[in-house]
Amino acid sequence: MQINPELLEKIVAEVLAELESADGPKSAAVATAAPEKVAGVVLVEKGAAARGTDPKEIVLAISPAFGTTFKTTIIGLPLASVLRQVFAGAEEEGIHIRVIRVYHTADVAFMAHYAARISGSGIGIGILSRGTSVIHQRDLAPLSNLELFPQSPVIDLPTFRAIGKNAAKYAKGESPTPVPTNNDPMARPRYQGLAALLHNKEASFQDRSKAPQELSVSFE
Amino acid sequence: MAGTKRSKRFEVLENRPVHLDGFIGEWIEVGLYAMGSPQDPKPSIRIESGKVVEMDGKVRADFSMIEQFVADYAINVKNAPEAMAKSEVEIARMLVDINVPRPECIRIFTALTPAKIARVMDSMNIVEMMMAMQKMRCRQTPANQAHVTSAKDHPVMLAADAAEATYRGFKEIETTVGVVRYAPFNALALLVGGQVGRRGTLSQDALEEAFELQVGMRGLTHYAETVSVYGTESVFVDGDDTPWSKSFLASAYASRGLKMRFTSGTGSEVQMGAAEGKSMLYLETLCVMVTKGAGVQGLQNGSISCIGVPGAVPSGIRAVAAENLITMCLDLEVASGSDQTFTHSDQRRTARTIPQLFAGTDWIFSGYSSTPNYDNMFAGSNWDIEDMDDYLALQRDFKIDGGMRPVKEEDVIAVRNKAARAIQAVFAELGFPPITDEEVEACTYANGSKDIGDRNIPEDLKAAERLMKDGITGVDIAKALAKRGFRDVAESLILMMRQRVAGDYLQTSSWVASDGTVYSAVNDPNTYAGPGTGYKMSDERWEEIKSIPWAIRAEDI
Repeated sequence: MQINPELLEKIVAEVLAELESADGPKSAAVATAAPEKVAGVVLVEKGAAARGTDPKEIVLAISPAFGTTFKTTIIGLPLASVLRQVFAGAEEEGIHIRVIRVYHTADVAFMAHYAARISGSGIGIGILSRGTSVIHQRDLAPLSNLELFPQSPVIDLPTFRAIGKNAAKYAKGESPTPVPTNNDPMARPRYQGLAALLHNKEASFQDRSKAPQELSVSFE
Repeated sequence: MAGTKRSKRFEVLENRPVHLDGFIGEWIEVGLYAMGSPQDPKPSIRIESGKVVEMDGKVRADFSMIEQFVADYAINVKNAPEAMAKSEVEIARMLVDINVPRPECIRIFTALTPAKIARVMDSMNIVEMMMAMQKMRCRQTPANQAHVTSAKDHPVMLAADAAEATYRGFKEIETTVGVVRYAPFNALALLVGGQVGRRGTLSQDALEEAFELQVGMRGLTHYAETVSVYGTESVFVDGDDTPWSKSFLASAYASRGLKMRFTSGTGSEVQMGAAEGKSMLYLETLCVMVTKGAGVQGLQNGSISCIGVPGAVPSGIRAVAAENLITMCLDLEVASGSDQTFTHSDQRRTARTIPQLFAGTDWIFSGYSSTPNYDNMFAGSNWDIEDMDDYLALQRDFKIDGGMRPVKEEDVIAVRNKAARAIQAVFAELGFPPITDEEVEACTYANGSKDIGDRNIPEDLKAAERLMKDGITGVDIAKALAKRGFRDVAESLILMMRQRVAGDYLQTSSWVASDGTVYSAVNDPNTYAGPGTGYKMSDERWEEIKSIPWAIRAEDI
């Protein structure tokens, strides 16, 4: 049987377009925060990411196609809003965020762990384009974490803000109450196949030999 | 369709729950394909001086580390020429032929290459696979495992749910966390609650692998399951692992007398974007063979947390049954999944479970959610506690042993209460944040975490960290229980620790009875050879299954 790759590309594009449509997700149990109308964000690469020394910084690692090929999370939240919320959450605690783009992996645990290792505070965040997120700490094993948000379809914008806020609190040496875990047992039936499709798309932008890049972030 | 006149029939159909499921088309190039992909390797083998020098069309120099491991440790080279000479259909027929004994099937299967095994499966239909499962599972009496989790990681609720689960018949219980730092408390809650519900329960904490081993060695868990293996090199490497490192981890468990099994499942590689264009079942065959090669006694598979992926493509649920069957055919314990949510449709979720439930496997579910699904921190199970009476009815309808038994409300309340009080006592004795009588009461009668209050999470997390830092072990827990009037529970904990020294439960497909007797494939081997053989339900067990409390009895009218 022959499958036409162009046709599949088209299907992926259509699926993405459908996700961006105003209708949003149909499943009521899934987070349905209306996509906030914010202007986009400009991400400019500034060369290889360096180890930081500022104890008041946390490093946020984003995945290879975050904000370029992918503009929204799996439930259609604009990635610019996602970044804005995470930044705002951290700023509320007086901590600033340095953003890097990781190319060598699209595994969110390893992305976040890398971020933590080069972060001045030792705290890192990883976010995949589809929304999957983790807060990590330098001293932990890569597949451990401080807080994990594995179900991308239930992560709404307030949760992203809370992730930024909690990461900042860890950076200050506090022990915050973890962000309440959303759990939708029906997220997998609706979204896992699509998540696999999206991840394969994201992984196609992976470059194992390319070092993480420092990004300048300016919101429009 | 906007603007066009719609059929009312189609509108009704579109509003059925099945339309909320994500169905996707096949995509051969990335391996979004269940089984029998045209890109899967073709079976072949060449052996020189007792070594596999070519396998499935690839010469040894080109082997990935997984292929090398499989070729060196998971294929019986002595029997391989004979086994590989048989056609796929010939081998498939052996599986369903009651005149071919199980050991003969094992002898052939352990001498096949991965591509050959995958093709044998693709030559079978789902009913033939069920017939084969009935004969090929290694332990004769089926059993069941439950998930015991809480959206609040509430230790009292976890202890009460663990007790109820094991009282209802689950022989193994498994937990994981919402917040990872709660993990030591979750392990503790299952350890105590599990033994309250049924002495002999095996419990585990599915977490980061190093932590799992640590709590196992401390005697806070009895086994481990979440040691994951994958079918492509890149996924393995992404996890900083190799088949050899996983084997080393497996021997660490064995050396401490702890039961363990690996975990894998169709869809994981493509989910991680690294299927290298192979079908899900072909890659899963490699995982089962890595497990066999590592000398591990068993495997949890059946797609598990990736079930949404095979569940979305054609023939995917058939592939899931096939992967369970491959595990049995390699003489490994199978914990056959049937666990995680993959559909909104009650019809699909029941049908998905039928092959494993009707044929019987070592662990039909791994696991069944013993809590409402909103508390299931494995992101939901295909069956949850609210489906339990449906499940009991199915056992009764078809006279099948699904491992569960009908229970009385007052008995469940009693075991839940005892477990809640026992964990309260342990917390008090060890100086952990107090558990109030109100919490004990609430968790005794609750259905889920929505019915109970919140704990002071930061305080609990500090105490959980202290449990690990202070080196608290199962013996300390047993002492605390004995001191506070729970001597019988303390004795159960000690009974389970003695199992480590005896080592009997390291045998394939083991579970521990309340008197400490270990049942496994050694003393309860599957002897199925057609009608009138194999597992036979005892009259006692049939009476138990029949007696659902809500059935109307003639003598009461």
